[in-house]
Amino acid sequence: MDKRTVMKLALEWENPPYVPWNINFTIPAMEKLQAYYPGKDLEDVVQNHMVNVGYDIYFYEDIGNDCVRDNFGVVWDRSVDLDIGIVKGQLLEQPSLAGYIFPDPLAPYVFANVAGQLKEYGDRYRIFGIGFSLYERAWTMRGLQTLMTDFYDNPQFVHMLLNSIADYNITQINAILKYDIDAVMFGDDWGQQHRLQMGPRLWHEFIYPVLKRMYGAVVSAGKKVFIHSCGDVDELFDDLVGIGLNCFNPFQPEVMDVSALIPQYRHKLAFYGGLSTQQTLPYGTVMDVRRETRHLLELGKTGGYIFSPAHDVPKDVPLENMLAFIDEIQHQPGYLNLV
Amino acid sequence: MNEMLKKLFDAILEGDQHAAAAHVQAAIDADIDPGEILNDGMVAAMSEVGRLYEAGEFYVPEMLIAARAMQASMVLLKPKLIQSNVKSAGKVVIGTVKGDLHDIGKNLVALMLEGAGFEIVDLGSDVAPDKFVEAVRSQERCLVALSALLTTTMPSMKNIIDAIVAAGLRQNVKIMVGGAPVTETFAKQVGADGYASDASKAVTLAHQLVKAA
Repeated sequence: MDKRTVMKLALEWENPPYVPWNINFTIPAMEKLQAYYPGKDLEDVVQNHMVNVGYDIYFYEDIGNDCVRDNFGVVWDRSVDLDIGIVKGQLLEQPSLAGYIFPDPLAPYVFANVAGQLKEYGDRYRIFGIGFSLYERAWTMRGLQTLMTDFYDNPQFVHMLLNSIADYNITQINAILKYDIDAVMFGDDWGQQHRLQMGPRLWHEFIYPVLKRMYGAVVSAGKKVFIHSCGDVDELFDDLVGIGLNCFNPFQPEVMDVSALIPQYRHKLAFYGGLSTQQTLPYGTVMDVRRETRHLLELGKTGGYIFSPAHDVPKDVPLENMLAFIDEIQHQPGYLNLV
Repeated sequence: MNEMLKKLFDAILEGDQHAAAAHVQAAIDADIDPGEILNDGMVAAMSEVGRLYEAGEFYVPEMLIAARAMQASMVLLKPKLIQSNVKSAGKVVIGTVKGDLHDIGKNLVALMLEGAGFEIVDLGSDVAPDKFVEAVRSQERCLVALSALLTTTMPSMKNIIDAIVAAGLRQNVKIMVGGAPVTETFAKQVGADGYASDASKAVTLAHQLVKAA
């Protein structure tokens, strides 16, 4: 049984032989792990179960002074945060798209790695990622605080901006669906540590109808829909499931009850993430990490769960804590029986 | 409440900056005491914004437009407050800690504190310990509010507090901390005087710390 099949079983609650996993690392954390495994390919060490195809959020042009420009024209300052950076300036100074030209959704770079990735990691579950897929893309272009006030000041502009972003994404989704992929993962953070950023009323008015269009493009092709949305957003799960969501990430244990949600959404919504990156991984002992990992694996043993830390492993996580959860997931009996 | 101040209160609550400015000007023109305009019209409205936020009726956008309306009113009222020698609720030196560029949380806290009548010294984001020390040194007494979004930058909070202690200024300040991964326990560990989980609770905490100073 290959990893792709294990993932499909987990996503359908069909008693996978073990809980599959997919772990991403920030650059400094990866360097720490690589130093421990000199000369080894970390893909071989970690044995992830997903392969990401497409460009995700990672198409940038280096413009110097520790800054990069993404394909939408947003400038990111990476002088401090090396992985993503912080938006610099304001691409859309006025509440208007006049004069702004969206990037080509079908540009060759978007699909450049698809065939190669599928060939190299063909045994894995295939995900096409669209990072900053809606609200986040809008605020990176307009500024977070400005977009928040635009909800009240310029509602028609917000509707137009969000729908234009969705049009771009849907064109891309329709093109990627020609490949043998399994799911599309949208990235869009809506939460704060406690509650939604914009509240349920504005979310339903502005974001929900556009999500429905985007998810619909994936669902109608018979593919799965994943969303990555940081923060306390579980009040939206029923609405999201209603428009086709299949799997939720990052499933942060500090902001939602992971132990209750897996059984509560059995056969409705799968979860991907769950291991604490705000407390256990940076501050816990090896035993704390092992205990929490085992608990999560137990929760997901009959399906509906993909193990991962609730964020790309941050740089402040001790090496021994990384090794601890890797050891736990790779010593699941069902996995050992298959390798 | 005076009818004019009630209109000002409502305009701020609704986030209508133009109406708020018009009502504060009308109140000034009617010779209402500037301290009364501030406290009964503006601070009371922002306090209600905080209550509605905690009750789950307001979210960040509503908080932002209310704060903007309050600021539009404050521009007109400030000269009158100075003339009348109305004292602020206290001074707050605020910033995100060294290494952390995420400033929306810090901005919300600053807006809500300003709405509660505090004077804000906003040092911005990615602020080094010596900048906080410098800012604290130039104040007689003040609150220091530190914000961090990331576990990787939370240790900077301790560095800043240690720098304030090393400069011999700790007794002049009360220090509050906040940000998504920050907890009450962490606040105690690094030697802060208080922790607030959101912008509204930060206002309550700031009042408590001023009282305790």
